[in-house]
Amino acid sequence: MKTTEKQMITNEQGAEQSAGASEDVIYRIEVPANRYDLLCLEGLVLGLLVFQGKLSPPRYKAVTPEKGSVQKLVLTPATQLIRPHAVAAVLRNITFSQESYKSFIDLQDKLHQNICRKRSLVAIGTHDLDTIVGPFTYDAKPPGDIKFQPLNQDKEYTATELMDLYSTHAQLKQYLHIIKDSPVYPIIYDKNGVVLSMPPIINGNHSRITLNTRNVFIECTALDLTKAKIVLDTLVCTFSQYCADKYTAECCEVVLPDGNVTRYPELAYREEVVSVQKTNRYIGISEPADKIAKLLTKMCLKSEVANSKEEVIVEVPPSRHDVIHACDIYEDVAVAFGYNNIKKTFPKTSTIGAQFPLNKLSDQLREQIAQAGFTEALTFCLCSRDDIATKLGKDIKALPAVHISNPKTLEFQVARTTLVPGLLKTLAANKNMPLPLKLFEVSDVVLLDKEAEVGARNERRVCALNCNKTPGFEIIHGLLDRLMQLLEVPRSSNKDGIGYYLKAVDDPAYFPQRCAEVVASGQVIGIMGVLHPDVITKFDLTHPVACLEINIEPFV
Amino acid sequence: MVTGLNVRVLQYLDEHEAVDTLHLAELFRVEHQKVVGAVKSLQSLGDLVNVEPLIHKKWELTDEGRAVAENGSHEAVVYNAVPSQGILQSELTNGLPNIKVGFSKAMSCGWIKVTRQGNDMLVTRKVATITDTVQEHLRHIQAGNMSQVDEEQKQEYRKRKLLQEVIIKSYLLSKGKDFSTSVEKAESDLTVEMITSGSWREKKFKPYNLDALGVAPACGHLHPLLRVRAEFHQIFLEMGFTEMPTNNYIENSFWNFDALFQPQQHPARDAHDTFFISNPRSSSRFPPEYLQKVKQVHSKGGYKSQGYGYDWKIEEAEKNVLRTHTTAVSARMLYLLAREGFKPSKYFSIDRVFRNETLDATHLAEFHQVEGVIADYNLTLGDLIGTLYEFFSKLGITKLQFKPAYNPYTEPSMEVFCYHAGLQKWIEVGNSGVFRPEMLLPMGLPEDVNVIAWGLSLERPTMIKYGLNNIRDLVGPKVNLQMVYDSPICRLDKNGTLQTDVQMMEQRWNAIISQLEALHAELQELQISSAGTENVFQEADDKNIEFVILSDPHYPPYSVVILSKLLAGRYRTEISTHVHSSVSVISSDLQSFFNVPLDSGTGSYVKIKLIWKNVGKDPLLIQCPISNGTIAGEVNIARYLNRLLEQRPDPVLVYESKGEVFGGQVDTWLDCIYKSVIHGSNEVCSGIIPALSAVLSKQDWLAPSMSIADICFWSSLKQNPHLLNSTYGLKKWFEKCQHVWFT
Repeated sequence: MKTTEKQMITNEQGAEQSAGASEDVIYRIEVPANRYDLLCLEGLVLGLLVFQGKLSPPRYKAVTPEKGSVQKLVLTPATQLIRPHAVAAVLRNITFSQESYKSFIDLQDKLHQNICRKRSLVAIGTHDLDTIVGPFTYDAKPPGDIKFQPLNQDKEYTATELMDLYSTHAQLKQYLHIIKDSPVYPIIYDKNGVVLSMPPIINGNHSRITLNTRNVFIECTALDLTKAKIVLDTLVCTFSQYCADKYTAECCEVVLPDGNVTRYPELAYREEVVSVQKTNRYIGISEPADKIAKLLTKMCLKSEVANSKEEVIVEVPPSRHDVIHACDIYEDVAVAFGYNNIKKTFPKTSTIGAQFPLNKLSDQLREQIAQAGFTEALTFCLCSRDDIATKLGKDIKALPAVHISNPKTLEFQVARTTLVPGLLKTLAANKNMPLPLKLFEVSDVVLLDKEAEVGARNERRVCALNCNKTPGFEIIHGLLDRLMQLLEVPRSSNKDGIGYYLKAVDDPAYFPQRCAEVVASGQVIGIMGVLHPDVITKFDLTHPVACLEINIEPFV
Repeated sequence: MVTGLNVRVLQYLDEHEAVDTLHLAELFRVEHQKVVGAVKSLQSLGDLVNVEPLIHKKWELTDEGRAVAENGSHEAVVYNAVPSQGILQSELTNGLPNIKVGFSKAMSCGWIKVTRQGNDMLVTRKVATITDTVQEHLRHIQAGNMSQVDEEQKQEYRKRKLLQEVIIKSYLLSKGKDFSTSVEKAESDLTVEMITSGSWREKKFKPYNLDALGVAPACGHLHPLLRVRAEFHQIFLEMGFTEMPTNNYIENSFWNFDALFQPQQHPARDAHDTFFISNPRSSSRFPPEYLQKVKQVHSKGGYKSQGYGYDWKIEEAEKNVLRTHTTAVSARMLYLLAREGFKPSKYFSIDRVFRNETLDATHLAEFHQVEGVIADYNLTLGDLIGTLYEFFSKLGITKLQFKPAYNPYTEPSMEVFCYHAGLQKWIEVGNSGVFRPEMLLPMGLPEDVNVIAWGLSLERPTMIKYGLNNIRDLVGPKVNLQMVYDSPICRLDKNGTLQTDVQMMEQRWNAIISQLEALHAELQELQISSAGTENVFQEADDKNIEFVILSDPHYPPYSVVILSKLLAGRYRTEISTHVHSSVSVISSDLQSFFNVPLDSGTGSYVKIKLIWKNVGKDPLLIQCPISNGTIAGEVNIARYLNRLLEQRPDPVLVYESKGEVFGGQVDTWLDCIYKSVIHGSNEVCSGIIPALSAVLSKQDWLAPSMSIADICFWSSLKQNPHLLNSTYGLKKWFEKCQHVWFT
């Protein structure tokens, strides 16, 4: 198999890079974001062994202990205010080695970062069951009322103190915001009031697991129950192999505030029946049913051919929560078959191509403007508020600008409402070029528009400028005349409804008496003129600039 | 321009055979430079005149000389200052310029005498009258009567710094092959007037300089990235795709994420990855029925899907964003397609998308996404693979590989890699997949319709094509317009992005390798043949070797003596010195240094004829027997002599025979001595001396053992004894060497 989901040999660095490097074979394994079962070595090894046919997919099960000895996690109504869901499980008679212990901790970390969305959706707590006594209570209390000795600390702190303590902690500080401002914090106690954990921040020191821990109590508190179940299943499936009773976990009862009782882990197996014909047709192969079943079994999806021979019955194990539709199964067939072994075909779809009219017009005009001696620039749509407002002598509040709520730098505060700043910045970066510099850009600006579906729309503009020892208004004007000629818009000498004409106007970005609106068919389509010296200076320029910017959408 | 002056030059030449421009300048009473200018302009007209450069040496009085011509020689001034009754020397020395020179000259001329008078000396005239020939001579020279003064005296006055020799460059003119007195300027170009009048028939035309560059056309330019965009555009159109209206940068989360079955907690929907909009913050107009279906499939599943099983919130879907991919538009198009009655379709778009990512040399917050979508009944993954091969082959890429990947809205998903032969690795070029049924079915597309799609960035292949490493060199206001001006047209299939660029690179690489190999072979051959010449030399050895070394007495090549002494044990060696007529005196020190009795060897002899001549810093070794050129510079002569030495067994002083490493070290030192000590400016020289001295304080010799580098360094130190004062250690080393080589 050249490539499989589990076996991504990276040969991407190239031969020259590898010269002098160690000859040891290193496999870089890229785990797809939805394959939580492959996040630790145990899962990967299992996956590979099953793929190679050296192992058959394990059968995970949850057993209920003798009556009365089942561990309970009781949710109080207060938990609904902060972190409403919880699930739990027990791994009995487990034996950790140094490596597996580390891997166990590591997997929790990865799950926390991944599916748990940095502990915000799900938080995992694992405990040495022999140090605590059930039933356990999952409660939510004001931070001042919570006091315990947290993991790796030598004294007790209140929850309030802990928030202070961890505000500078390299890892933990990123999770504090999840509960910090809540009136109540989640907290899990045992029968005797020993604190197991304060999710999603920290576990108690008392119940910490060690290399010698034999029985592990796992609790997950969550905002998203589905994800909590996936996390619990993933942990249990991966590490139950170290239990005396392999691949077996012990059930816990979670008692909800309304009194309902649910048993976890679910470790549910689901049957999905896929049609052999559909599978083949989806991928573009023609494999018999038994081959497809074999391919799927290799991918940890234990499958068998249905009696009809036209279907394959696929058992989706609790370790494969990523399989939510038949198409996920098709993909596993394709991966096991090998993407690069699939015969390439060309769709019979017969269609006639077409250009988007606005883009077609833009491209035609771009060609023409370049032929008129202008050089095309390509500048950013995002810019600072200053670029479109202050620097052009305008008030940002008066502009129909789209504002970005989370810009990382000033350069991404707003979407541009004019193409002028981008061209002026291009000029500023090219002061060493011989004059005159004639630049243009045909691109979109973004404008607020209540009529538009999302409250804003793009507008396609042509912007051109001439920079020289004198502004060269006539050059820009000549370009406008040329564009209008190309667009078959006549010049309106009596400034009436048909044709185009210039109408003197004042605009703070332009030099007084050197600015005009471009009116075409009675509609203002743009502005042109000599840029104001203040504008020139603010863009760090020294030479006069004449500039034209018009909307071309009316001409489509 | 043709001025009167060049006509006059031509007229003069018409009557005379040849003339010096200096003479013409005198004749025409114009500056010489102007005559030269006229000659140059005549030269540009063709072969009117032959021009030969001349160098004139001319004697001219120095400032001091002019003073002497005016006031009399220093000795005459002194004589005249002595009154008939005599004067005390102490009184005389006061107040006269150049008194010392004048006094001693007057003494040696026998014009004055000195007698002791108490503690002082009385100076009295010895002769009654004198003739101040110096003044006379200088006045002659000043007047241009050169012949009145003989050459020897001129040299004498030069030494006395009264005269100087100046060099004047002029040109000797004679009639050229196209000589004519009428200067008709050769025309540079055809004109309207010439054509209409027909005068072009008689005109002479200057030939064009075909090696010059033409005038760059005044033109505009399209941006290179958008030229690549046009190419992609063309490819899609050729393949029958219809362009999607992607002119909406602002999109709501519903179309950008939810419609694509991207769960609301997906990390891509984080503020870390996506730009959210504060104004207009949200959208509210959604197709209600479709929205319900999307909500259903996310939260509870449906269409045979388990769904994601979470609490789907309309508030999340309403949030406006800067679209993170053009797939948002694809979703709208597919929804529209389902609404209007499905028919097989192909869509494409190339437009901007926005990511709030960390920026680096290859990532910007906004870039262009190229996207292709095909919707048809029963499309397969094989169809996608086949389509990708067709698409990329139009870009000149034929080797593809596919790797499984994860994407919330495609299943199966494939990363597309192409093999870059130049970089010798697989590089990721795009992403692709089959849209999930959970995305398509809520839109109302028929159940057996599959949609395959792929996407790539426009910038990446463009950067590879134009060989750019920083995306800011390609996009944005910081782009150098010269790059835009100079970039070639985009022919992706022709000499395009990957494969062919790579082929070119490979060809170039192979060419370099083959050149290197050829060079290597040549070197080996040389080695073999040089081994051969050694034998030849051995045979030639029986012949006697004779050569001349021209040396400047100001820069005596002391190393030659040391090396001759070493040669003497192995050859019958003779060294004789001669003085060239240009050199007047050789100091006795120098004479004795070079007068070494040698000739103690046996067999063939080496005869060195050392001629003192004003040749400057670099002595010249001229080989008589082989006469294959001249060796210039003391270090090179030392190299040559050392090689001679190495022809004999037990050469004592080794150079190249001790291996390349040692030879290289010696060469490095020799080069350093040559460039910095011998030819370096005072500054360079005084900089290098302490460094060399530091080396010699740690080791006995510059190289690991004694070599010609030491001999040459020693020689240059002896030439410039002031260098020895810089450090005490250096002086000690110098003395030690002297002891080793001369006792």
